[in-house]
Parts: sequence; C-alpha cells; structure tokens
Amino acid sequence: MQPKRVLVALAGTSADPDVIRLVASIAKPARASVIGIHVIEVRWNLPLDAVMEPELDRGEQLLESAKKVADQVGISLETELLQAREAAAAIIDTAVERKCDLIVVAMPFRKRLGRVYIGRTVQNVYVNAPCAVLAYRQEQNA
Amino acid sequence: MSAEEPPQNPNDTPSLERRVTRAGRHVGDRYVRIVRPIGSGLRGHGGHYVATEQTMAASGRLGRAWQGALGVLIGKRLHSEAEAEERVGVETGLPILASDNISSSAYATEEAMRILAIAGAGALIFTMPIALAVVFVLAIVVLSESRVIRAYPNGGGSYLVARENHGVIAGLVAASALLIDYVLTVAVSTAAGIAAISSFAPELHPFRVPIGVGLIALLGVGNLRGVREAGIAFAAPTYAYIVGMAAILLIGLGRVYVGAIPPIAQPPHPFDPVGTAPLTVLLILRAFASGSVGLTGSEAIANGVPSFKKPEARNAVITLLLMGSIFASIFLGLTFLATQLGIAPDADEIETVNSMLTRTIVGATSPLYFFVQFSTAIILLLAANTGFTGFPRLASVLANDRFMPRHFADMGSRLAFNTGIIVLGVLAAIILTAFGGSVNALVPLYTIGVFLAFTLSQSGLVRRWWRLRNKGWRASIAINALGTVVTGTVLVVVAVTKFQLGAWMVLLLIPLIVALLYAINRHYTNVQDALVITGGEQRLPILGAPAVIVPVARIDRAGLQALAFARSVSPDVKAVHVSTSTESANEFQRRWQRLGTDIPLDIVESPFRSLVAPLLKYIDAIDKSDDRPITVVLSEFVPRHWWEWFLHSQTAMRLKASLLFRPNTIVIDVPYHSSDTGDLAPGPPLDSAH
Repeated sequence: MQPKRVLVALAGTSADPDVIRLVASIAKPARASVIGIHVIEVRWNLPLDAVMEPELDRGEQLLESAKKVADQVGISLETELLQAREAAAAIIDTAVERKCDLIVVAMPFRKRLGRVYIGRTVQNVYVNAPCAVLAYRQEQNA
Repeated sequence: MSAEEPPQNPNDTPSLERRVTRAGRHVGDRYVRIVRPIGSGLRGHGGHYVATEQTMAASGRLGRAWQGALGVLIGKRLHSEAEAEERVGVETGLPILASDNISSSAYATEEAMRILAIAGAGALIFTMPIALAVVFVLAIVVLSESRVIRAYPNGGGSYLVARENHGVIAGLVAASALLIDYVLTVAVSTAAGIAAISSFAPELHPFRVPIGVGLIALLGVGNLRGVREAGIAFAAPTYAYIVGMAAILLIGLGRVYVGAIPPIAQPPHPFDPVGTAPLTVLLILRAFASGSVGLTGSEAIANGVPSFKKPEARNAVITLLLMGSIFASIFLGLTFLATQLGIAPDADEIETVNSMLTRTIVGATSPLYFFVQFSTAIILLLAANTGFTGFPRLASVLANDRFMPRHFADMGSRLAFNTGIIVLGVLAAIILTAFGGSVNALVPLYTIGVFLAFTLSQSGLVRRWWRLRNKGWRASIAINALGTVVTGTVLVVVAVTKFQLGAWMVLLLIPLIVALLYAINRHYTNVQDALVITGGEQRLPILGAPAVIVPVARIDRAGLQALAFARSVSPDVKAVHVSTSTESANEFQRRWQRLGTDIPLDIVESPFRSLVAPLLKYIDAIDKSDDRPITVVLSEFVPRHWWEWFLHSQTAMRLKASLLFRPNTIVIDVPYHSSDTGDLAPGPPLDSAH
C-alpha cells in the first residue's frame, strides 16, 4: 500500500514517539503527507466548545513533542487539535474530510482483568473507519 | 493553513485561536477544530497568553549556536518564579556577601605595615595597636549595620537610609560612593589575589594585568549564572581559607607560646631598616587608614538583605556577626604573629606578609603553606564577588528609582542583573589595567567611598530614631551616633592621609556621579511628564486619515506593495520619485502613467545625485503645507541572506534613520522579502529588476 495522506491519532501516551517513527517508515518512501491529531474528549455536562485549559495545554504540548520527533525522523507533521464528545468519531471524520487513506492509531500495552485491553477509541476507529487502519500496540515491556 | 480550512475573514481581528465547529458524518458527531499555532510557544486563551521558554528559542543556525554557547556559559534560562529559590541562607550568604571583608584580613595587616615601614623597622611596633583600633571600628560598624538591616529589611543599605533621612542628594552621595567602592573592590581584590599567587609563583608577576582581566571576566560569567550558583561555587574556597588560616594561627600561636620559633622568612626586597621618613602622627594615621581597608565589604550585607532566605533580616544579621567575628580573629591573629615573629613587608610587593608568615610557621615546602596560599589567592579573587553582588543590586535599586538607566533593573535569563554585572566587570578591568594591577596603588582609592556611605547611613539612622522615637530609641541613637562619630573620623583620616596618593580622584568622582545620576533622573521625570495621561485624556484620541508620502525609487513589486499599503491607510496618498536627470525623470513619468494609478506623483530632480537630502526637503515642504502628521511609507527590499545586504544601497534604511528624530512624522516600513508574492498578481514587467 502506498498511502498519499496519513492521519495519526496521538493520545499523549508513551506509544506516541513509536507510532510517529512507524508512520515515518511508511510515509517517507510513499512521499505521503502526515497529519497528527489529538482529540480532547468533552464530557456531556459541558458545551462542546468549552475551553478546557489544562487539556488544551496538554494537547499542545503533546503535539509539539510529536512535531519534534517527526523533525528528528525527517517527516513534516501537520498537527491539529480537536474537541469532540467521542474521539473515535472525530478521528474518522477528520480522516474523511482530509481525504486520508490511512489512519494510524496507537495504544500502550495495558491489561485489564488479566487480558490485553484495547480501548474503545481504537476499537471504534478500527470498526468504523472507511479507509485503511493500522493499529500499533506497544510491546509489553516498553 | 490547510486547503480544507474555512478561510479567515480578512476583516477579523487577528487571533491566536480560532474554533471551527464541524458537523461530522452522523448526528451527534459534531466536533470542534481548534486552530492554534502549534509550536508558537504561547499558552493560554481568550486574549491572555503566557510566553513559554519555547518563544525564546532562536530560529537561525547562528542564533541557535549562540544560544547553545550561552547555555553552556551561563546556564539554562530560569522562570521568574524561581527567584525565591535563588535566595541564599547564612552558610551560602557568608561566602557571597562576606568574602570581601573576610578576605581583607589577608592583606590589611600588610597594608598598615607597609606605611609604618617607611619610618623604619622599629615603627612596625605600632601595627598591633592599629589592628586593635581597626577591630574596634569594625565592632562599631557591625553593630550599626545590624541596625540598618533591621530598619531597612528590603535592602538598599546606605543609599536608602541616607535618602530617606537626609534627602535625595545625600542618598546619591552614598550611592555614588558605594558604586565607586564596589568597582574598586573588584579591582583591588583581583590585584591582591594575583599578588598572593605570584608570592609562590613569581614568574607570573609580569602578567598580573592580563591574568587579572581574565579573572574578572571569569567572575562576571560566574555571576551571570545567578546568585545561588555563584554562592555554591564560591563557598568552598571561603571556608577553605577560614580553615587554613585557623590552622596557621593555632600552630603559630602554639609555637610562640612554647618558644619554638623557627627562622624568620625575609622579604625579597626589604624596606630600608632605618626608614626614609620620620615617624609622625600623620604616618600612623596613614597606616591606620590603610589598615581600615579591612573594613570594606561590611556594607554589602546590609545592601543585599533581599538576597537572603526568609527571615531575611535575621539571616543577614547572623551573617554580619559571623563575618565580623571571623575577620577580627584572623586579622588580630595574623597581626599578633607578624609583629611577634618580626615579619617585615616586601617593598616590591612580590611576596606578601601572609606568605612570609605562613612560610615561617610551617615551612615553604609544607602542603599547608600551599593550601593557605592557594586558598588565600582564591578568596581574594572571590572577594571581588562581593562587588559583583553589591554593585548590580544597588544599581537596580537606583534604576528603579530612575537614577540609573532602566537596563540596570532588568533581570537576565538567570535572574541576575546582567547589565550591572557587565558594566562592573568592564569598569574594574579598566581600572586594574590603568593601575598596572598594583594593590598598593589601588588601595588609596579604596575605603573612602565605604566610610562616606557608612557615615551618611549612621547619621541618617540617628535622625530616623529621633523622628520615630519608638521602643529602645535612646539605645539605638547612642549606637548609631557612636557609629557616625567613629566612621566619620575614619573618613576624615582616610581622606586627609590618602588625598595626595589618589583619594582626590574618588572625591572628585563622587560629585560627578551624583550630577550624572541626577541628570538621568531629570530626563526620566521629563519623559514621564510628557507621557503621563491626565484624567481628561483617558479616551483614545480620534485622528483623521493622515497625509501619506510614498517615496518610490522604481516601479517594482516592492514599490507597488508600499503604494497599496499606503492606500489602505489613507485616501490622501502622494508618491514621490527623486531622479538624478531630466531623462530618467521623464522615463519614470511615462512608466507611472502606464501603471494607471490615480495616486498623484511628484518628481524631484536632483542634479547633484543626492537622494535622501532632497527627499527630506520635499517632506519638510509638504509638512509646512499640511497640519496633519506626515506619514512616510517606505518600501524596503529584504534580501534572502544577510550577505546580500551589501549588494543593495539601503536607501530606505538611510531615510528611516534620517526621519527617526523628525517631529510630526510617522515612518512606516513595508518590507518586501524576496520570497513574497502577496496579492500582487504577476504581470508584464513595468521596470527593470532590482
């Protein structure tokens, strides 16, 4: 697969740098453009466009860090900060709107009740995205 | 901005954050796109932003290299909130603020002996009584300064006390005296430090000036790193000196007590044993004045009270008492041993009395000798640090009171007063060079300033206690009145005995600096009077569209951009072109007509080929015919690389410089970068290229 536009969803976990390196290995040979997004999930008791300063700051910081990693691995990362009720829907909608042909989502290795746990955002993107989806799970001891 | 984003309305006020609500594919999938300039380094929202450290990051390669070098040299930039952490306790405050005074014990004995030695070896018997007199004065000073600290816990020391109680002029006299003294502290301490080094490495003696200048630079850099870090770096040598001197004094006193006195070290070039001048009262007073050099530095603690951790005043007083006790013990011990053992000073300043005494007591090959000499050299150098702590702080207080340029009050990246540190370093290096790095030549200039400041602050406190008459005022008045009398007497003695030796320079400089500080204050007061908004002017004035002049050298993209901008500012725009010949004027006129603009053009012919002068005269003429402020819009071509600047005539820059101080004139620079295309659609060329 030779994607032309890749969307990478960044959650601010330890998996973010890994997934950017992974995306670089895909996007560089294909000369694809890369969009990094972070979605702030807004609780239902708040208006959708509520200003959540700590979350905004965190989002900006993690996108800045992602840009730095992207610079190091030699790709140009366009970043975007979103607010939505549910992250997965915003990721998919953005991918559709920006005509992305690949969504890359990442998750750290997590266990719940003795089983590897995949969060609802990754699951929903995986199930509902119309384009190709690549889910990266960090190794156990990362 | 991506292609899909909704375009920003050109009439919108520029904003750092835009929020665009998107529908999403399903009902309930609405989301908000927050358009923020990621990586700008600005955090916040709603018109209130905080600049993070990222905004300070240099963008160019050269800028990054410079920033990296600065980072290594003076350290990482500190947040303003770290100011409290930059404060010091007693244990760190002692080396930072008291090293000057403590280190004076290394050479105060010698300075008194050198004067007495002029009258012959027999006159050295007066060294011990003089030392006792100096310690007596120090005790009075310490007691009085502790009152200053308690009365003025926010620092400012003698300047603030004198200003509040005697008036502005007295305050400025105290400040000027202290500023001079801080510069001399750095110069004298550095010279004394190098003298201590050359005592055991005489081959370095001819290079004392360049070494001194280098060491001052090193101290300056150390202080640019911030007070706390400087204190940590300087703590060990100060304590090493105290321990080393304590060991020498204990061994020396033990040897004197048991009578095991080794052979006495002789100076390389002794004074004439018979003497070259008679022993007079004036000579004894001169010796006392020279010995009083040991009292310098005791004012630094009162000036630097805000440098201490809470409770600031208490910590400062403890440090002051410790400083006085340590100085008195070492100074009296050294003087006692030097006179008991019969140590004589060296006429050529190659070996110090301290070195000869240590050599006598423990031997020239003993590790303790090297330890003491080395720690002495280091503490003498670090004593200069007291100047680096005091001068910038006092200068910042003066700058806040608008008696010194504002830059002195600005804190640098490490929360140090960088301008004060740099100015002090430069001045001290100049003085050190001018006096050839000689301690003996510099000392006469020293101490006058500090005693003048002491006298003013002590007498100021007397007036304060008299005015306030609060609890214990009688005891306070008695202490400070005694301080006034003692420090005033020492001031007169020092001024009279050292006048011809160089003190006149300081006495001349003080009124000059006072006048300068006063003139600076008058300027700031005038500026404030001119700028301050009165009650009736609280609203923004409503101005009409200005008369705009656009000097156009060529009809090119840069020129068109400037004209377009001028038109957006005012409907009343006039273009002016300076031409060096009639032919080129006609040619320009034809091109202007081809441009098809309704902006009127004036052409000024300049047969003497000058561009700027005729243009300025033209602006003058327009200004006289129009009451409105003249707005000059300049188009300036900005090349891609710095070296390409040399390929352009920089007429806009010269014009900008000429118009900078012209009244009633607004200058707007419209830069045209070589990569700019703006909204100017490319068309057929109207004029030759740049």
